[in-house]
Amino acid sequence: MVDAAAIYLMGATLAALLGFAWLALAMEVHWRQVFGRVGPSPGTRSALRLLGGASLLGSLGLCLLADHASMAALVWFMLLALAGVCVALLLAWRSAWLRRLWPG
Amino acid sequence: MFSSFRQTMAWLHTWFGLILGFVLMVAFFFGTLSVFDREIDRWAIPETRFEPQTMPSFDHILLPVLRQVEPDQKEYERQMPWLHDFGQGPMTPRLELPVDEYWAYTTHRDPVLVMGVGFGVPHPRDPAAHNHIHGDVTIDPRSGVLVPDDALKIGSRWFYPMHYSLNWTWKYLGYWIVGLAGFFMLVALVTGVIIHRKLFREFFTFRPGHQILRSTLDLHNLTGVVALPFHFFFAFTGLLIFAGWLYFPVGNTLLKPLHDLEHQREALEIGLPYERSGHPAPLASVDAMMAEAQRRWDARGMPGDVGFLVVRHVGDVNGYVSLYRAGSDRVALVGEGIHFKASTGEVLREDPPRTVVSEIHDFLVGLHLQHFEHWFLRWLYVLGGLLGCTCIATGFVFFVEKRKRKHAEAGGQGSRLVDALAVTTVTGMVIAAIGMLVVNRILPSDLIGKGDWEKGRLGTYPAACPVAQCPGNGGTDQSCLEGTVSGDRGTGGGCSAAELGYHRRPSAQDRAH
Repeated sequence: MVDAAAIYLMGATLAALLGFAWLALAMEVHWRQVFGRVGPSPGTRSALRLLGGASLLGSLGLCLLADHASMAALVWFMLLALAGVCVALLLAWRSAWLRRLWPG
Repeated sequence: MFSSFRQTMAWLHTWFGLILGFVLMVAFFFGTLSVFDREIDRWAIPETRFEPQTMPSFDHILLPVLRQVEPDQKEYERQMPWLHDFGQGPMTPRLELPVDEYWAYTTHRDPVLVMGVGFGVPHPRDPAAHNHIHGDVTIDPRSGVLVPDDALKIGSRWFYPMHYSLNWTWKYLGYWIVGLAGFFMLVALVTGVIIHRKLFREFFTFRPGHQILRSTLDLHNLTGVVALPFHFFFAFTGLLIFAGWLYFPVGNTLLKPLHDLEHQREALEIGLPYERSGHPAPLASVDAMMAEAQRRWDARGMPGDVGFLVVRHVGDVNGYVSLYRAGSDRVALVGEGIHFKASTGEVLREDPPRTVVSEIHDFLVGLHLQHFEHWFLRWLYVLGGLLGCTCIATGFVFFVEKRKRKHAEAGGQGSRLVDALAVTTVTGMVIAAIGMLVVNRILPSDLIGKGDWEKGRLGTYPAACPVAQCPGNGGTDQSCLEGTVSGDRGTGGGCSAAELGYHRRPSAQDRAH
C-alpha cells in the first residue's frame, strides 16, 4: 500500500513537470529558448497546450489515487509550485534538455 | 496622489511589503524550520534519538509517573496569588494542591511523550474560571523514565513559537505583530498580482543573465506566483488559527456570558460532567478504554492510535476520560473523540460527525498545522516556505537596487538602512539559527539551565553578521546582501561585505552599469 502510494506520487511529480514543460513550450518565447527558432505553429501550440493540460490533470488524478482527497489537493498544488520553479530554472540554465519533449 | 490604480497598488505593495517584510521573513524562515520541529528537537537532545512511539500503557507507565508530578514552582508563584481567594484563608501550599486533570499527548513523529497534571485551586477567586496550576513532564515512553525537561526542545519550543510569536510573549505583542504581518501579506499578494503586468506570459520567466534589477524582479515574481496558493493559504490560515482566541476573542469578552452558558448547556446536553461532584471514586483501567476507542475508530473506517488523552475531574465520581485519535491520513486533525466514565470505563459519548462549517475550518487549520503523516508533503511545504523566503529577500534586493544609486548621489541613507536591515534579518537569522544548533552541540549536556544559555545566544549571533562591521556614512554602491549572498561581483569573490569597500563612492563604471 505504501509502495503503491509512493509510485503514484512519483508519477504525479513527473506528470506535473511534463505538464508545465509542455505548457511552457506552447509559449513563443520559451519555444525559441529551447529550439532556437520561431514557433510553435498554431497546430503545434494547440497540441502542446492540450498535452500540458492533460498532463497536469493526470498529475491530480495520480495524487487522488495516492491519498485521501483533502490531502491530494494540497500535494497537487505544492507539486505545481515545484514543477513551475523547476521548469523556469531549466529554461534559464538548461533549456536544451527540454528539446526531447517535442519532436520539433 | 497617484495617476493610476496600479500605481496606488504598487505603492502599497512596496512600502507595506518593506516594513512588514522583515517580520514575514522571520515567520517564513522559522515556519519552514517548524515543518521539522520535532526532528530538530532530536538534534538538540540526542538522548531522545530513537523511533517514534505510540501512546504507551496508561495504567502501567503513565499513571505511576503522573502520580509523582508536582505543580510547577514558578507557575505556582506567579499564578496562585491571582487565582486564590484570600477571603477564604491563606494559599494552599504548593505540594498540597489536589490533582484535577491528567493529560498526555504524542504524535507519529514523537519518540518522547509530553504529559502533565492540572492541579486544582481549592479556594478560587472565580470558581467559573479555569483554575489550574500545571506540572508538565517529558518521558521516554518505552520505560517511563523522565527526560530532563530543562533541555530546550529547540525545534518545538523555540523555532516553532518564533514562527508565530517571535518568542515575544509580553502582552502577546509578538502574536499581534505576526498577525499584522500576515494580514499585510494577503494585501501584498493581492496587490502583487495586480501590479504584475504579465502574470501568465511570464509564468516561467527567469532571466539570470540580464541586469540585476531585471533578474531580481523575475525571481521575485516567479517565487511569488508559482507558490501563490501556498502563500495565500498559509497567511490566511495562520490568521484563522489565532482569530478565534486572540485577534477577535469575542467569546472571552463581548459574548462571555453567552459563551459560558453555552459551555454549561453543552455539558448538560452531551452528558459530560461540567464540575466535580465532591464524591471520590477510583479510576478504572484506561488501557481498556484505549482498546475500546481503537476498536470503535476501526469500525468507522478510520483506524488510528490515541494521540491525545485527558482525564478530567481525577478521583471524582464525575471524572471522565476523553480519547482523541492522532492525526494521520487526513488533513484535518480528526479527533473523533470518545469519552468514558473514569470510574467504570463505560462509554459516555462519542463526538458526533462534524458540521460542514467545522469541517472546512478543520481542513484550513489542519493544512497549516500539519498533524498528518505525509513526508513528501512536508518536504513540499519546506519548498513552499523557502520560495516565500526567496520572494521576500528578492523584494528587499529589488527595493535597494532600484534606489541605491539615486540615494547615493543625493547623499541619502535610505537604501543603506534598508540594506543593512535586510542583511541582519535574512543572513543574520540564518546564522543565528545555525549558531544556536551548533552551540547546542558544544555546550555540555548536563549544564544547568542549558536551554537558557542557548536562547541567550540567539540574539547575539546576528552580531557576527557582516553588516555589523559596516559602519560609516557616505554613499554606498554595493549592497550588503549582494556582498554576502553573491560576493563575487566586482571584487573577485568570496569576501565578506565588510571588505567590499563600504566607503567607496559610486564609480563611473558602476554608474554606467
